[in-house]
Order: sequence, then structure tokens, then C-alpha cells
Amino acid sequence: MDETPQPYRTDDDGPEPSRAATSSRRALMLGAIGASTVVAIRPALAQTTGSVLNCQIPVPDPGRAGSYIARDGSTVPARTQGSFAPPSRPYTGEEVKRALQGGQLPNSNSLSNRAYLNYIRRLQRGQGGFTCYASLQMPGG
Amino acid sequence: MAAPRYRAAGAELLLVEPLDMFTAVFHRPSGITHLLTEPAPQILRALADAPLDAGALLARLSREFDLGEPGDAEAMLLARLAELEAAGLVERV
Repeated sequence: MDETPQPYRTDDDGPEPSRAATSSRRALMLGAIGASTVVAIRPALAQTTGSVLNCQIPVPDPGRAGSYIARDGSTVPARTQGSFAPPSRPYTGEEVKRALQGGQLPNSNSLSNRAYLNYIRRLQRGQGGFTCYASLQMPGG
Repeated sequence: MAAPRYRAAGAELLLVEPLDMFTAVFHRPSGITHLLTEPAPQILRALADAPLDAGALLARLSREFDLGEPGDAEAMLLARLAELEAAGLVERV
């Protein structure tokens, strides 16, 4: 090896004042002017605000048609004591949205309204009305 | 004319989730999720406390980060701010 001074220091060289002062600062690239650092993901649901309010939430979903709705929102056999007969028609997104904001679902009283809303809040993916309810959760929906 | 000052959208309007090389930011008012790469999350954070103009923002970032050669750093920063502004994540005050 020749004796040419090395341009780069090694770990054995001990701390270098100027480097020690900057070592706590991580490098951050501000990027090129034309290179975007923000990509928006617009969920399909968010783009259908108009239709969200017209979507429907059956209570209960067709798979459990005929069941009654208990106060906690679970579905129970028809005429179970303390439960409520299902509403005669599915609710629209608009109706549910209003009810979630403190209003009342059509064809309900204060108790059944709460039971129906509890049912709706418990909806899971795959159940009728879930997508509609999920859409209502989105701001602007 | 004074340089415009920028501030980040209120913390209550955002859900921020670092995801490895991306940072996902859900903007509640629009319902849109933005995937940010560096330096956008760092800019958002720097603008969260108080509004800053581009020069002050650059100074703040360079205290915390090594921004490399100064060059056209402010122009690049303005480009990043414009993107964040367009996304609704940053606003002028």
C-alpha cells in the first residue's frame, strides 16, 4: 500500500469534531421538485357520497329474516321477551345517518330505535347492510 | 409582501400511522387517506406546533436533519408544501 493520505476516516481514527456534531442529525432528502411525496387513496366508498344515503340496511339482514332484535342489538328468536319485531322495511343510509346523529328511525320507538341501532352498529363484513353502514362512518358520507 | 406561513391540519383531523417506508395519513374531513414519503411526514410534524414560513421551516428541519447541500432546498421545500397544501394536509395562514 502506498502512503497516500486517506480521504476517508475510519472508526479507528477517533471522533472527528465536525462529524460528531452532525452525527445526531439523520439525512433527510427534500426530493426533486417534480417528484411527488404525497399519494392520495380515495376509497370508492368516499366517491359515492350521493348513493351512500340511498343504500339500504335491512334489520335484520336477509339471512336472519324473521328474527327479532334484542336491546343489545343481537338477533333472537321471534317473540323473545324484551326483544323487538324487526321494522317492516330496510332503512336507508340517510335514515340511519340521522338516527346515529340523535334522531329516530322511522317505525320505531325510543327503545326499538336503540335496539335497531345497536344491531346496525354490530354489523360485520359480509352481513347485509355492512357496506352501507361502513360508508356512513366515513366523513362526508 | 411577507412570505406565506404554513401550518399542518389540526391533529384532531388526522390519523397518522407510520408504515415502514410510508406514513399513512387519514384526513377525516375528506375521508381520504394519503400515503406520504419523506420528507412530507417530517414537514407535517414541523408545522404541527406553530405556523412557519418556508425559510423558518427550512431552518427548523435543518436543525433536526441533515438536508445535504443547500442548493435549491427552499424551492424543493416549497414544492413539498404545495403538494401537502393540495392534499389539504397543510394550509396557509
